[in-house]
Amino acid sequence: MPSVTVTSRAAKVMRDQLARRGTPQASIRLGIRGGGCTGYSYLFEFEDKPPRANDLVVEQDGVRVVVDPKSLFYLDGTEVDFETGMRGHGFKFKNPNTKDACGCGESISF
Amino acid sequence: MTSVPIHDTGALFQIAEPTDQRRAQRRPGRGIGIDLGTTNSLVALAPHGAAPRVLRDSSGSGLVPSVVAYTVDPPLVGRAAQALQAEHPSQVLSSVKRLMGRGLADINFAHPYHLSEETPGLLRIDVGSQVGSPLGSPGASRRVTPTEVSAAILRELKLRAEAELGEPCDGAVITVPAYFDDAQRQATRDAGRIAGLQVYRLLAEPTAAALAYGLDRGGEGLFAVYDLGGGTFDVSLLRLHKGVFQVLATGGDSALGGDDFDRALAARLLERAGVGEPTRNQLDAARLAARAAKERLTEETATRVALPGLPELEVTRAEFEALIEPLAQRTLRACRQALKDAGLRAPELDGVVLVGGSTRVPKIRELVAETFKRPPLSDIDPDEVVAWGAAIQADILSGSAREGVTLLDVVPLSLGLETMGGIVEKIIPRNATIPIAARQVFTNYAEHQTGMVIHVVQGERELARDCRSLARFDLKGIPRLPPSMARVEVTFQLDADALLTVSARELMTGVRQSVEVKPTYGLSEEEVDRLVMDSLDHAGDDYARRNAAEARVELGRVVLALRTAVAEVGHLRELLPDDERARLEAALADADAVMADADAVADPLNRARTALEKVSEPFARRRMERALNAGMAGKSLHDIERALADEDALQEKRAGHTPELLEPEEP
Repeated sequence: MPSVTVTSRAAKVMRDQLARRGTPQASIRLGIRGGGCTGYSYLFEFEDKPPRANDLVVEQDGVRVVVDPKSLFYLDGTEVDFETGMRGHGFKFKNPNTKDACGCGESISF
Repeated sequence: MTSVPIHDTGALFQIAEPTDQRRAQRRPGRGIGIDLGTTNSLVALAPHGAAPRVLRDSSGSGLVPSVVAYTVDPPLVGRAAQALQAEHPSQVLSSVKRLMGRGLADINFAHPYHLSEETPGLLRIDVGSQVGSPLGSPGASRRVTPTEVSAAILRELKLRAEAELGEPCDGAVITVPAYFDDAQRQATRDAGRIAGLQVYRLLAEPTAAALAYGLDRGGEGLFAVYDLGGGTFDVSLLRLHKGVFQVLATGGDSALGGDDFDRALAARLLERAGVGEPTRNQLDAARLAARAAKERLTEETATRVALPGLPELEVTRAEFEALIEPLAQRTLRACRQALKDAGLRAPELDGVVLVGGSTRVPKIRELVAETFKRPPLSDIDPDEVVAWGAAIQADILSGSAREGVTLLDVVPLSLGLETMGGIVEKIIPRNATIPIAARQVFTNYAEHQTGMVIHVVQGERELARDCRSLARFDLKGIPRLPPSMARVEVTFQLDADALLTVSARELMTGVRQSVEVKPTYGLSEEEVDRLVMDSLDHAGDDYARRNAAEARVELGRVVLALRTAVAEVGHLRELLPDDERARLEAALADADAVMADADAVADPLNRARTALEKVSEPFARRRMERALNAGMAGKSLHDIERALADEDALQEKRAGHTPELLEPEEP
């Protein structure tokens, strides 16, 4: 079964952000969007609706991350982590499927 | 989609608000419609779905003469400029629309200006007080482009609209003749930009007239637009298909209009008054009187005309009609020709629209009705109808909610092209913010492919047969080139109201073609949801099928390239020794066997390709060396090009290849 994992550190930040947003029960949606000349990029947003029937739902420390089955082909094995460093702080996707990425890492190719 | 792991990309992400809550930046109700005419221009507003309204000056006139006077800085526009024309003929510019997007070589009509073309293709008009003095000479010379002159007119119209709105406008729809080519359209767009306008869209004048009458509401139909202005005549035949207007044929006469009616009547008046050789003043006076009489004859059947110093004359409508009959017949001939060009017969039309002040003449209406076998639509002021349509379109594009029109913020379903193997190459992804434009280069698959199929599809599935087919056309007349050498650039442009323009251009010859479609036409929200869900349900199958299709295309390409090479130079033992040839033939046969299975998955196809590439590697290397040696000996340039082409194609493949388009089937 394809899967995605979320580190405890990432889950904690998600939980804090969901609480601050006033929607502690909402999920976080991770996906791949695009294709063609614009390239692929990650979709990473709050999801207010309940998970869809064929979404992958990952529960980590009380936080729900959902991934649609199509994106999962490009995200299988990805670890979502949270980092604090010289370039600020943010979530990091360690995705074993990517072949290439642009300088900033926001556009990816497979 | 072979994966090569690179783990750390370095990017850090933040959680965003859901996509459907982000809204495109628009300012509803602040779009303006501009009819940028040769003689006169107009600006109209139709805010928030209101009926269109042409903005007028204090004297009640909505027409702004398309005249710019460079006697002062900043230049004067409109009536004030017109008043200076007789005194400063070379510094006061009119009818510059005829110069838009043109080079010096295109100007084959009379004009009073001093034109130059220092930069090829960029026409300049000298409006200095000492015309003709060289560039850079002190004070005297000033050169403006037709685009700048048009921008001055547009700026004036923009100011008029903003005075009415009480706030800056958001953007504009500007109308252009249906026959304007790319250069003329680009020049018009540029003029808008120089004037500080966001040009939402250029709209064909006949289409604007049809929109003013709401003819688009039916979704389908055939229409004629008869446009007789002061100095020009245009006829256009439009097809409305799935909510999109398409120009089927145009015709006309750039030197025929209501001014000719005035001249004919003036000549008759002078003749009847016994003036054999009129002076300039008499001629001007007669023309003014004739024009006034013409206008009165729209309502009356007879009128009296007084020329200065001459006895009063009576003119009947019948006399006037007899005078203009030959001129009117010329316009009707153009109408019949346009019908013929479009392959239509008059009874097939669903409506005829009148545009231009000269269509007020009752005789013209009568003849138009006769020619098109139906009474023309004439309720809207024919001088204003084009501006009305532009204003309606501008209001929609500004984001106003209008009855029956929904403006989308994001692309509901991905838009793409079918490529070799039936694979969909997405050009505009789902959920991209509208408006958006995207461009991608495609290439040929086979040698001697002189055409490419542009099959536009919509949907989230990976194979074209599972997507909605939106449009299909063939780009023909591309040069014969080795595989992967042709370059066809395809542009998808999705306007604010989701009108998609797909254009394809072959980069070597410039051959181009385009199509307009409305991807959302006949698509309900439920269907969008269903199509998206479908793609999720089939994610696994689709992924496998796409991989298989890609592997099949790749293998096919390698087989084709090798077969071509063997046919050309395979008989040369120094290039292809017998034992190697036997192994190569065997690998080719294996590949054929794998491809013969229509259900083959990616793995065996990829294995066959790897095997072929391995066994043919020495052959490819020897061919390359031979070609290079031949080149150094100055022998065959063709071989070198060929070898470089192969090498390029290989590089391309390594870099993530350019998708190939299908060859059209011969009819």
